[in-house]
Amino acid sequence: MQKLELLNLSKSFSGFKALSDVNIELLSGETHALMGENGAGKTTLIKVLAGILKPDQMMMKIDSNIQKVNSAIDSKNLGFNFIHQELNIVSYLSVAENMFLSHPYPMRYCALINWNKIYKLSKNALKELDITHINVEDKCSSLSTGDQMLVKIASCLIKTEISPTLYVFDEPTAALTIQESEKLFKVISNLKKKNAIILYVSHRMNEILEISDRVTVLRDGLKVLTEESSKLSKEKIIRSMVGKDLSDNFPKKTGKLNNKVIIDVSNGHTKSIKNINFKINEGEVLGITGLANSGQKEIFNMLMGIDNLVKGKLNFLNKIYKPNGPKDAWGKLISFVPRERRRDALILKMSVKLNTTLPHYGKLSKFFFLTNKNKENNITNDLSKKVQLKYKNNNQSIYQLSGGNQQKVVFGRALASNPKLLLLDEPTRGVDVGAKLDIYKLIRELAQNGCGIILNSTDLSEIIGMSDRILVLKNHEQFNIVENLDVTTQDLLSNFYEEKNI
Amino acid sequence: MNIIKKYGTLIGFLSIIIFFTINLPTTFLTANNLINISQQISMLAVVAFTMTIVMVMNDFDLSVGSMASLSGIVAAVLFSMGYPIWIGIIAALLVGIIGGLFNGFLVSIIGILPFVATLGTLTMFSGFAFLVSGGKTIFGRDIPTEFSSFARSGLEITSLDIKIPFLSILALFILLIVWFILEQTIYGRRLYAIGGNAEASFLAGIKVKQLRLSAFALTGLGAAIAGLMYSSRVASSNPTQGSGLMLEAIAAVFLGMTMSEEGEPRVLFTLLGVLILGVLDNGLTQMNVDSYIREILIGFIVILAVAFSSITKRRN
Repeated sequence: MQKLELLNLSKSFSGFKALSDVNIELLSGETHALMGENGAGKTTLIKVLAGILKPDQMMMKIDSNIQKVNSAIDSKNLGFNFIHQELNIVSYLSVAENMFLSHPYPMRYCALINWNKIYKLSKNALKELDITHINVEDKCSSLSTGDQMLVKIASCLIKTEISPTLYVFDEPTAALTIQESEKLFKVISNLKKKNAIILYVSHRMNEILEISDRVTVLRDGLKVLTEESSKLSKEKIIRSMVGKDLSDNFPKKTGKLNNKVIIDVSNGHTKSIKNINFKINEGEVLGITGLANSGQKEIFNMLMGIDNLVKGKLNFLNKIYKPNGPKDAWGKLISFVPRERRRDALILKMSVKLNTTLPHYGKLSKFFFLTNKNKENNITNDLSKKVQLKYKNNNQSIYQLSGGNQQKVVFGRALASNPKLLLLDEPTRGVDVGAKLDIYKLIRELAQNGCGIILNSTDLSEIIGMSDRILVLKNHEQFNIVENLDVTTQDLLSNFYEEKNI
Repeated sequence: MNIIKKYGTLIGFLSIIIFFTINLPTTFLTANNLINISQQISMLAVVAFTMTIVMVMNDFDLSVGSMASLSGIVAAVLFSMGYPIWIGIIAALLVGIIGGLFNGFLVSIIGILPFVATLGTLTMFSGFAFLVSGGKTIFGRDIPTEFSSFARSGLEITSLDIKIPFLSILALFILLIVWFILEQTIYGRRLYAIGGNAEASFLAGIKVKQLRLSAFALTGLGAAIAGLMYSSRVASSNPTQGSGLMLEAIAAVFLGMTMSEEGEPRVLFTLLGVLILGVLDNGLTQMNVDSYIREILIGFIVILAVAFSSITKRRN
C-alpha cells in the first residue's frame, strides 16, 4: 500500500455537522498528526475509520482502489489498528495472552493450547519492534502503562495474513511518563520503517512537531490545514486550530458589583488536586480551563464536599466551609450543574417537574414530609419560564426533551434556591447554538444579581467570553490565574502547552 | 397494540378470572371464596408491598422469607416462656427492623450487591430461627389463644352476612401505609429518584446511603409482620414457615412492574401482581390441578407476563 485517501467525508449528528467535506491523504511510512480543539471532529474521523460510525458521505481509496468500511470487521480486515488511551488490557492475564486476545490461539491436536507457540509468536512480535525488556509470560498487571501500550501495539503484528497498514494513536502519551513516551516514539519510528501509516492525535504541541512528518488541522468539522511539519510552528498551528475570535457572540458584562467575597479557597489540597487558590466576589465569573482531565472535576468535588480537604482552607460567605457531601453544599445555597447531563444530573424516567425540584424536595414539602404538588408546580412553571424551556407540561418525561432543553431543566434546578454560588461544569456541552445563548444570558443575569459563578469549559471562546478571571489547571494543579483583560485563546493554549522545565 | 402494551397484565388478570368463573361456576365467584382468597394472600401481600419499597431503588431483598420465619419463632418462643403477647409482638417486629437494618448496612454502607448480601442473611436468619427454636415447631398450649384468635376473627358485616378477616384488613392497612410512603411523601419521591439515577440523586443532595439503609429496615419490618400473621393463622411457629414467600413476593412486584409506564415498581400494581398469584393458586387448587403442575403453570405465567412486557417496551 502506498496511500490511503478519504474523500468528501461528511458526518452530522441530528443537524450538527461534526465533519463536512473533509479530504485527507495519508502516505505509507509517514507520521501524520491530526489536530484540533475539542469538538473539531477528530474523534468522529477516527470512529469512521474504525467502522464504528457510518459517515453520511465518504469515498475511501487505497492506492486508488475504492474500499468500503461498514463495520469494525471491515476496518480490521484492511489492517487498521487503533491504540487508545484506555488500553483494554486484561491485567490478570499474561503479556502473551493479552497479545492473543483478538487472535485465535494456536492449537495442538485440535484441543490443547500450544503455549510454546503463543510465547514464541508474542516474543517475535515484540522483537520486531526492538522491544526486549518485556517478558511475555509476566502478568500484565506487573507492567507499567507505557509497557502495556507497547504490548498492545506489538499485538497488532501477530496476525500474519493481514499486515497492519494503519495505526491510529489517540492521545497515547497522556498517561505516560517522559521515559515511556521516548520508548513509544522509538517504536513508532520502527512501525514507520515497516511502511505503515501512523495517524497521531495529540494535544501536545512539542511532541507533534518532534515526531510527525505532516500535520492536518480540523476546526468545527472542516479541514483547515495540511502542511509539512518542518514548515510549521507552534503558533501557526494554534492559530489555525482557533480560527477567528468568537467572543463577540457573548452577552456583555454591565457594571461592577461590590467586593463582598463569596468564596475564598486558600491553598486547597484534596487527594487529587493541589495548590488551589482563588477568591470569587459577588457577581464574578471565574473561568476554569486546561487540557482534559487536569483537575477541573476535582475542584467541583472539593466544593461539593465529595472530596475532603487534606490541606488548606475554604471560606464561604466569611465562614469556614466544611461540606460533608452534596446535601450540605445545596443547603448552603451552592448549586451544581454537573458535566454529564444524563449520567450525573437527570433522572430520565422522571418528569420535568420532579427533575427540576430534585434537590429541593425537602424545602418544597408540607409538614416536612408530604409532597406539595401546588408548590412544586408553581416553582417549576416559574423556573421553566425563566430558562425559556420549550416543553409541553410539568409532567412530561424528561427524555422527550432535546439536549438543550434538558440542560435548561438542570439549570432551572440550580436556580430554584436562589444560589449564592453556582458551579457549572461544561454547561453548554452538546447544546445547540440557540440554547447556548440563552444559557449565557442566564449566567450574566445571575451574576448581575450577585451570584458567584465558577464556569469550567474546554471551549476557550466561552471561557474568554464569559469570565472575569481565568484559572488554568495543569496536571491537577493550579498553573496560573489571570484577569481576563485582552486574553486570547492563543494565550490560553500556549499556557496549556507550555512545558514546565523537567 | 398500545392498549395491550399498557393494560396487557390487567387484561390477563381479567381473563384468568373469567376462565375460573366459567369452569367453576358455583364456587369461584362467591363472596366466601373471594374472602378466602383475600385471607390466603394476606401474608404474601404484606411481604410484596414492603418488598416494593426496596425494589423502587433497584435493590431487592432475598431474606424476607427467613425473616418471616425468624420473627414468628421469636414471638412464639417468648410466648412459651410466659411473656405477655405484646412483648412477643414487639420483639418480633424489632428483630425485623434490626435484620433489615443489617441488610441495609451491608448493601449501602459496605457496598455488597443486594443479591449477595441478602442471600447471606437469608441463610443467617434461617439459622437463627432453627437455633432459637431448637429446630422444633412451637404449637399448642405455648401459643396463647388471644394471639391465634386474631387470625380467625374478622369484621362482621351482618347485613351481607359476611366476615372480613382481620388478616385481610391488616394487609389492606399496610398497603395504604406503603402507598402513602411511596406516593405521597418526599421520602418515597427520593427513593424513586435513587432508583432512576443514584449518582444524579447523590449530586443533587439526596442522602442515598441513609435512605437505602432505612428502606431495607422497612422491608425487614414487613417480613416480620407477615411472620406474625402466619403464626397467628396456624396457631404455631416453625423455623421454615416463611420459605415460600420471597420468590412469590418478588414475582408479584415484577408482575406489577409490567403495568407501570416506565417499568418502575408501584405498590398498587404490586397488589395486582399478588392478586394474580393468589387467584391462580386458588382457582387451580379448586380445579384439582396437581400442585406440581400448579407451580409449573404459575412460574410460566409470571415469565410470560414479564417477557411480554419487556418485548413490547423494547420496541417502544
